[in-house]
Amino acid sequence: MVPAGLYLKRFYTIVRNEVLVLPSRIIVALFFLALLGMPLVTRNPYLIRIVILTSIFAILAASWDLLSGFTGQMNFGHALFFGMGAYTSAMLNVHLHISPWGSVPLGALAAVLTGLIVGIPCLRLKHTYLALTTMAFPIILMGIVFALPDFTGGELGISGLQRLSNSLLGNYYIHVVAMLALCTIMWKITDSNTGIIFHAIREDELAVKASGINTTRYKLLAFCLSGFFAGLAGGLYAHYMRIAGPSTLEVSMSFTVVIWAVFGGMATIYGPVAAVFILFPMLELVRFWPEYRTMIFAVVVLLILLYMPEGLIPWARDKMEKECPRCKIRNVATRKTCRVCTALLD
Amino acid sequence: MKKMTVGWSILLTAALVMAMCFPAWGRTIKIGVIGPMNFVQGKGHWNGATMAAEEINAKGGVQVGKEKMKIELVKADSNEFLSVTDATNAMERLMTQDKVDFVVGGFRTEAVLPMQDIAMDYKKIFIGCGAATDSICNRVGENYSRYKYWFRGTPFKSSYLARTSFSHLGMAGAVIKNELKVPVKCAIVAEKASWTEGMIKAAEATIPKMGFELVGVWRPSAVATDVTAELSAIQQSGANMIFTIFSSSVGITFARQAGELKIPAIQVGINVEAQKDGFWEATKGMGNYVMTLNTYARGIEVNEMTKPFVETYFKRFGETPTYTADTYSQILDALVPSIEAVGSLDADKIVAYLETREYMVPSGKIKYEKDAQGKPTHDLTWGPGYLTSLGVQWQDGKLVAVWPNKWKATSTVPEVTYKGMVPLKLPPWMKK
Amino acid sequence: MGRGVLPYLFIDDVDWGIMNILITGLITGSMLALLSIGFSLIFGVARIINIAHTAFYMVAAYCIFSLSVKLAFNPVAGMLIAVVFVTVLGLLVYKFLIDPIREHEAAVLIATIALAMIFQEAILRIFTGDYRTVSALIEGYFIVTGVKVFYQQVLTFGVVLVILGLLWLLLMKTRLGLAIRSTAEDREVANLMGMNESRLAMITMGLSVALAGFTGAVIAPLMVLSPYMWMEPLIMMMAVVVLGGLGSIKGSFVAAYILGFTEALVVFLIPKGAFLKGSVALSIMILVLLLRPEGLFGVYFEEER
Repeated sequence: MVPAGLYLKRFYTIVRNEVLVLPSRIIVALFFLALLGMPLVTRNPYLIRIVILTSIFAILAASWDLLSGFTGQMNFGHALFFGMGAYTSAMLNVHLHISPWGSVPLGALAAVLTGLIVGIPCLRLKHTYLALTTMAFPIILMGIVFALPDFTGGELGISGLQRLSNSLLGNYYIHVVAMLALCTIMWKITDSNTGIIFHAIREDELAVKASGINTTRYKLLAFCLSGFFAGLAGGLYAHYMRIAGPSTLEVSMSFTVVIWAVFGGMATIYGPVAAVFILFPMLELVRFWPEYRTMIFAVVVLLILLYMPEGLIPWARDKMEKECPRCKIRNVATRKTCRVCTALLD
Repeated sequence: MKKMTVGWSILLTAALVMAMCFPAWGRTIKIGVIGPMNFVQGKGHWNGATMAAEEINAKGGVQVGKEKMKIELVKADSNEFLSVTDATNAMERLMTQDKVDFVVGGFRTEAVLPMQDIAMDYKKIFIGCGAATDSICNRVGENYSRYKYWFRGTPFKSSYLARTSFSHLGMAGAVIKNELKVPVKCAIVAEKASWTEGMIKAAEATIPKMGFELVGVWRPSAVATDVTAELSAIQQSGANMIFTIFSSSVGITFARQAGELKIPAIQVGINVEAQKDGFWEATKGMGNYVMTLNTYARGIEVNEMTKPFVETYFKRFGETPTYTADTYSQILDALVPSIEAVGSLDADKIVAYLETREYMVPSGKIKYEKDAQGKPTHDLTWGPGYLTSLGVQWQDGKLVAVWPNKWKATSTVPEVTYKGMVPLKLPPWMKK
Repeated sequence: MGRGVLPYLFIDDVDWGIMNILITGLITGSMLALLSIGFSLIFGVARIINIAHTAFYMVAAYCIFSLSVKLAFNPVAGMLIAVVFVTVLGLLVYKFLIDPIREHEAAVLIATIALAMIFQEAILRIFTGDYRTVSALIEGYFIVTGVKVFYQQVLTFGVVLVILGLLWLLLMKTRLGLAIRSTAEDREVANLMGMNESRLAMITMGLSVALAGFTGAVIAPLMVLSPYMWMEPLIMMMAVVVLGGLGSIKGSFVAAYILGFTEALVVFLIPKGAFLKGSVALSIMILVLLLRPEGLFGVYFEEER
């Protein structure tokens, strides 16, 4: 009786002091709660489907940000990891009859290998060269897919996959929890030592090298981690759609991921996630105007970038919060003094 | 007195409100039409369905048991050429937001397979009007209880497409032998795409058996913009017949350049772009004498339903219908009679009824197939008396039908000729 | 898997191919050269990766289509109008959409992607998704060493050479060209030397878009037009620019012909594998980059601090 109350009190203190102090953290908490609690409000399969697909793409967008936003290695061929994860888990599930719980992680591992294969030649390349080279890889893989139709199903893809769960709610919770967990992990990675090194590599690789850190290892690590999460997204996608086809490798998929991430704000992890949750449902919402759907999407992206070139979320965050000049802690924008060091905020 | 007036007005208002909540015509049958609406295939889906719905509603609707219900169409843009995800979202939306009773449409196989899965999840009848891959119907045979709600409305499956094309080749080859008195040398030109693989293999095996010499196989990209290389090689090989297997823009490029270069060969086979009225303009008239498989052509009568359909469609939409417009016959001739016969919208009952039917449609007669184990696949039967499609050729700006013209599928079946056939013409520059 | 894929792909006789390879390679190479030099220019001078570059090319092609087919203009006049229209469009786009966010490279990149999508959708709305074609300026063909060559192809090649020549003159012999080249080499120093860097960027943008427009207008008769025709050349163009080295005009020129001939070779030697031409070209690009990360003639940029 008493210990439970104590924990509750502690929990309350933590929530009040850590979460409720900043609007951004409140929003994140609300987001978690909203997603986990949505089935209580509505069981509409169409809405559930939208949220599931958005979650899958959110993982994908976050994984791109992990690589390109943080280490600065702009990857224009992210569809490669997505497609690799999708096809591998599809082949394992359909040909070798491995359950989806096994084929998805194994598909992700295949994507990690691909990450290595791509990462190694890209080590010496800079910026635009890197971007354009990475763009080439999914195209090459697509050529291979079409060249071996007996193995990969060619244009028709591999169909007949099993879903992870056969119930509506089961699927929903699996995918949403996976997204929340994986994105939190990715965020934690960026908050760790490794993440700081990633940041540093983007800012000034020479300085990092001069500090004695093996940038090659970290750059490859970034590729592999990004590949892992993107491969998971690919496997989840293939199993949910019950088909893995060449559409997962298209250039438009690579571009769309980049659009989401830059729209949301690079090097944040939560930026791309938010962007996907805004843009993907918006695209569905605009179905009442079917001829102009893509155009509306493009115009929205263009306008947002024109006025908020750093991304939507960093802009919103800057409007809501201020950084203390002395201790660098973030505060609500409405405060006059810092909550930690009581310095004046202007 | 006043109290009574108040009472009556309340009653009247209540009655009016109730009347507004229950529309005079009762519930409607909702049919979802799903397809790539920005493209000609989706437009065909929608146009055909619209024509059918209007025709039925003009007659008062469908008799479902004791009620008469009108048809309400729901348009869903699958955007399947650009995004398979979009297509599946659109299908799910039809199922849960629009709550349709039936769905017709679909085109790209990679999208139709997951869309089919979704419709089967909800146990709604989905009639495919565009995808020809065999495997979509094989699923019905393999897992009947789940996939039985799927029927193929059009076209017949790829393996039959191949057989029809070979009949065309046979006819063209006979004309060459008759008029030019030379042996037939055939070249195969197929766009690089999965669906052509099987057909190429089958052609490589069949063409020699027909007594023709196979001189080579070329595979340009489906969106190739220049095929002069292939054409030079084909000319060099001495081919006088080209078996084309195109579904994309290369069909225009190939026909145009072959016409410009006056390659001395006749193009026969499948050229989807050549099925469209706009082909003549797109090839700047160079696509003359191109022959291709097609479902409809003006002036042809497969049966008494053909001309009314084609002409009404042409008058209304300004172009000849393509096969995706068979949503018309699938609603009018497949679904509605089945609903009326069964007396309800119960999907299981309709499926059981429909799969045993043999019925006429503007392109022929539909009978559903069974696989080797005797299980229904809900795939279309091919052959004389059923569905054969047409062979059409561009002759001086007009698309005319040249096949089946005195065609004997096998030695045992009777000869088939549809009304309105004209003889095949060889390009004049072949006769030198 | 049966016979395996590779033996299936190769043909036996190639003797007829040399002339064809030459011509196809030259045409493809010239088209890529025109496109990539424009792309390389704007990147070198203003560090803008203009994904919409091939979209401008598409807009020009459709302009030609609507002018010459729908409105029956004289084809040459139609071409010039199309180029002017596209150039003006490009300058407007630059001024209002790109210039304000020029410092944020990633945002510019995405903005150009969005722009390309808008062009695509607009054209889809106006012209529908049906394939369109434009008549050739000169119909007919002639035969050279047993190979049929279209007059239009030769014309296109000739025009491309003329344009490339004019461009070379502009870049090498005029003051403007000097300014452009020096800004491409080192933006900050050029600025220090008194060149108005932002005005130069605008002029270069105009030049770049004009080149793209010109390619569209000239190549249109040889192509089939569709609202999605900007995607395929985009990838090849980027491969050319990367292979040649970003910021190097000479590099783009050379690389364009290398990849153009590679494509032609693939189409001829592996007729059953013609779809692989994109993959082969890209693989070559990757191989070269492994050996020389800055491309064939690329200038190795010191990281701009």
